[in-house]
Amino acid sequence: MEQLIKKIKGMVHLRAYGKQRDDLHFVTVDKAQLEMILAHLKNYEGFTHLAFLQAVDLLEEGKFRLIYMLYNYSTNVNLGVNVLIDRDNAEMNSIHKLWAHGWQYQRELHELFGIDFPDSPRVHESFVLEGWEEMPPMRRDFDTLEYSNRTFYQRPGRSTNDPAEYMKEKIYKNYPAAPVIRRDNE
Amino acid sequence: MSNLSSSKYRGYEADRSKYPEMKNGKAVIDLDSHKYTKIWQGPQHPGVTGNMSVELIVNGDEIVWAKTHVGYLHRAFEKLMERRKYIQCFPLVCRICVPEPDTNEYCVSAAMEDLAGITVPEKAQWLRTLNLEMSRIGSYLMWLGGQAGSLGMGAIAQWTVGMRDFWLDLFEEMTGGRVYHMYMIPGGVRKDLPDGFKERARDLIIRTRRLLSDVENTFISNALVKSRLQGLGIITPEMVDEFGIVGPNARAAGRGYDIRINNPYVKYDELDVKMITSTVGDAYARAQLRYNDLHQSLDLVSEILDRMPEEGAIQAEMPNLVNWKIPPGQTYVKAESTRGEHGFYMVSDGSEKPRRVFARGASYTHAISVLEKLAVNISISDLAGLMVSLHTCPPEIER
Amino acid sequence: MKLKDVLSPLRVWERAAQKPWTIKDPINDRPGADNYRGFHKNDFSKCIGCGTCEEICQNDAIDIVPVEGQETVDGDSGLRPMIDYGRCCWCALCVDVCPTGSLTMSNDYTWIADDPEDYRFVPGADKTKWQDSTVGYTRSPDIQILDYNRVDMLEIKPEDRDKSFIEIVKGYNKEQAIKEAERCIQCGLCTATCPAHMDIPGYIAAIRDDDLDQALRILYETNPMPEICGRICTHKCETACALHNNGDPLAIRWLKRYIADQIPADKYQEILGTAHLVDEQLNRKVAVIGAGPAGVSAAYYLAIMGYKTKIYEALPASGGMARYGIPEYRLPYDQIDKDVEYLKTLGVEIQYNTRIGEDITLEELHREYDAVFAGTGLHLGRSTRVPGSDHSRVYFATDMLREVTLGNEIDVAENIVVIGGGNVAMDITRTLARLQNQKYGKVQVLATCLEAEEVMPADLEEIVEAREENAVIEPAWGPKEIEIKNGKITGLHVSKCLSVFDEDGRFNPRFDEEQKKFFKADMIVESIGQGMDLSYLTEEIKAELKMTPRGRIEVNDKFQSNLKWLFVGGDIIEGPDVIHGIANGYVAARGIDSYLNSK
Repeated sequence: MEQLIKKIKGMVHLRAYGKQRDDLHFVTVDKAQLEMILAHLKNYEGFTHLAFLQAVDLLEEGKFRLIYMLYNYSTNVNLGVNVLIDRDNAEMNSIHKLWAHGWQYQRELHELFGIDFPDSPRVHESFVLEGWEEMPPMRRDFDTLEYSNRTFYQRPGRSTNDPAEYMKEKIYKNYPAAPVIRRDNE
Repeated sequence: MSNLSSSKYRGYEADRSKYPEMKNGKAVIDLDSHKYTKIWQGPQHPGVTGNMSVELIVNGDEIVWAKTHVGYLHRAFEKLMERRKYIQCFPLVCRICVPEPDTNEYCVSAAMEDLAGITVPEKAQWLRTLNLEMSRIGSYLMWLGGQAGSLGMGAIAQWTVGMRDFWLDLFEEMTGGRVYHMYMIPGGVRKDLPDGFKERARDLIIRTRRLLSDVENTFISNALVKSRLQGLGIITPEMVDEFGIVGPNARAAGRGYDIRINNPYVKYDELDVKMITSTVGDAYARAQLRYNDLHQSLDLVSEILDRMPEEGAIQAEMPNLVNWKIPPGQTYVKAESTRGEHGFYMVSDGSEKPRRVFARGASYTHAISVLEKLAVNISISDLAGLMVSLHTCPPEIER
Repeated sequence: MKLKDVLSPLRVWERAAQKPWTIKDPINDRPGADNYRGFHKNDFSKCIGCGTCEEICQNDAIDIVPVEGQETVDGDSGLRPMIDYGRCCWCALCVDVCPTGSLTMSNDYTWIADDPEDYRFVPGADKTKWQDSTVGYTRSPDIQILDYNRVDMLEIKPEDRDKSFIEIVKGYNKEQAIKEAERCIQCGLCTATCPAHMDIPGYIAAIRDDDLDQALRILYETNPMPEICGRICTHKCETACALHNNGDPLAIRWLKRYIADQIPADKYQEILGTAHLVDEQLNRKVAVIGAGPAGVSAAYYLAIMGYKTKIYEALPASGGMARYGIPEYRLPYDQIDKDVEYLKTLGVEIQYNTRIGEDITLEELHREYDAVFAGTGLHLGRSTRVPGSDHSRVYFATDMLREVTLGNEIDVAENIVVIGGGNVAMDITRTLARLQNQKYGKVQVLATCLEAEEVMPADLEEIVEAREENAVIEPAWGPKEIEIKNGKITGLHVSKCLSVFDEDGRFNPRFDEEQKKFFKADMIVESIGQGMDLSYLTEEIKAELKMTPRGRIEVNDKFQSNLKWLFVGGDIIEGPDVIHGIANGYVAARGIDSYLNSK
């Protein structure tokens, strides 16, 4: 594995490398060099199995992290190739020519994250959300609770209590609140 | 494999000599020509595996175009988990697969343990192994019923689904639930085996084997079944990499990939799991392979019961799970479900809730890319058999 | 096609003769397994209404609601979970998380009702057919969702501490404190029990987030003596802790100490935002008698509200009983100074060695100040009045502890008996043990009390540690007579004490006069309670001042006496302990504020 990482380092700009387990490694590469390295890994390094392609929304950094999880049948090693792409107008090159099921993941990412894969077949078809009009729901800023409250009705008559507040009300209602500090400038 | 192109085999390479006409590599299907009919198989159709549907264009009874539709069962578990504490995830994930929920439970717990650096105690590992292997039996029995039912053999479906219920009885004793077991929690499992469990389990193994000998006679060794399934839905070795095919579907096409052997988890490294493969790659080969794998699972459960430690902790020492924070990181944990590689990719950001969880189910490609390809040029009456032989399971597609 | 494949399926007919698997009457013939997760049961006698089940339910199926007949008392909110079975997914996480184990499940899974509202109910309150079910899912004792094991506190070993007054408890470091803080489930039951109603879950959460500035701000909202309280508080909150039902309660006291210990005194003003207080904005002055916890607390809150405050203290240093009643190995003096020094930076003046009634009269204070707060504490000892107790070698624990703190030489005898089983008795026992060790190199001190070992009023750790330091504890003996020969004490005669209180709960000990014992001693210390010294009240004031039947000054809920200008608090009203004093001072300060504003 060390040799492979060295090799990858020689080929592309290796932004990060991490080993999670003996059989699970992660590398981060540049967006422009991704297709090249994936093709190399598939054709020459035995990473022929694409287990999945997924995205993580790094809202705070304004990025999406794409993860291409590859697997090598002969060494039994999983290699996750990470790529960071901009969150605004997110776009990525398609890998459907490398793996015939790649388009499926790309269609899903388009629907659930709003990441476009321009050349990918059927990428704009709906996947699980026919007739969805909100923002792509897997984005971090999609507020599930707010959507749920707006869309569905709550069962009437439910109420709850905070034990600490309730005990205050019952036992020491008259205990004074903390005094306000009187400062000079206020 | 040269014989694949012979007309005896249907599936991989469609025979377009008559229809539809091909232009620029694409089939020209003009619905107004009255040569073609569009029909939907599903979502409410006995010949569909679960809540999905296949949109078909047929010419006579031959399928010339197919498209899988999912989304009838989307419950956004991955999103829900981002809004829940780690400990609140395990009751959710089991719902990702009804016949085989435990693989999900295992993967989500193992992913958390991997990220948090927790070692699960020996006894809990054995209990997990038992649970996983039993769930494989339950799932295979249900598949066997589905495969027989899809060919019109309702009696066999009733036997095997009935037998599965006895396995669910064991689950009920062991975990407190029949279908959704919610047994594996981060750090271990929730309960030890009840008294007398091993005897009842061994007894059930014998009963299951007795039933399987009937199934062998009436299904595996049945001229009708062979004529229906042989040559149906051939998966070639080239397709395995191309489409990311895993599990029995890949093993029947000659790819020896079984995670229990390749990347052993829980206690599989100490168990004698044999790689069962075939090179034919058709629906009958897959049926045979699953049937043999089911026998192997019975052997394994028997072995696990023998080796189950009497004493030992069932949970690692854990912090307060209500406030549990996991250090930042990402991991991918996978297990062999009856359908193949089942994995969870989990990202933590150091907070009390997972940043991202992704459940990878084998059916994701099997039921869409692969099915859409293999369905073309087969008879509508074979579609149900083909879907079951791919062992597609919609909830793990849309999570 | 093989002939075998054609014929073998015909064996399907064999099964026609087999017995079917069908269960004829599944509703009655098929109960759930013993471990089945069916409808919930809740044992109200165990449930404390902490709401952890509601918190953990990932389906939002549980509401915690008041239930008729359930009172709100210390350690029990009186609320009970109501479960909406339209949402419940039967995962039993609520059962696993329940800190008391009151919430369990039956193995019942069949139930039909016409009204959908019936499927929302409070298990345990509403009659159900499964409420007496003995089987069903319960939490396995082998798993933990909550963490019931306290992070061990490092202590100095007995052999390293029994000769000196070095502080025994080392305090948590950051890692330990965060680990301990993570055990908290934020139910908040402790807040009601704490006499000062501190926001305990709040500061524990701040420790968890490693935001100690915020934690200190939360502490000072209701308690200006975290260093003192963090060491010697009676921590009633810990008995109310939900985790206490199934394991170790949160170490709330040590966590409080951790916060204060981490922050240097010179940062307090900046963190608490008290650097620029209003300067005599109200131009009103308040006098505080006694620099003990009650007085310091009152002075602090008066100061941050802008009052010019001055404390008069009879002894040469601050802290009151916290300094002069509690040995240094439990509460080092510099920690008292840390809390009090911060108070001084806020402009509060402290005049030491000034006894009201002797150096200044109460009337003078009344004339000079707009209001007076008296927190004078219990500094007088009480005597057993057994024969011989008037001997010169019979001492009061309070006097002796004060002498030790003042640095005066104590004439420690070789054999000492302490009468009393409270924390003060343990304090003097362990203090004398140290002094004996210093003087004679061995410990021969024995403490005896009326109460049996299980009901001794002292904290358990005090008893354990006293024994570790080689003191002997002899519970359940009643003192009868101090034997004096040739003018010298030779020992104490005791009889077995059977019970301390009678049926009505009054103090009325019963003895078995047949069982006797003699404890050898040449010095005896009495520690059976303390009395108050109200000699500073002049005759005129006494005549006007309303007293309770038990001889205490009567105060309203703001600790105001019937003389509107005089507020009283601390041990002489409630307690005795440090946290009641702090709480009294806090409330009285608010009372003085509203009294002066309405004047």
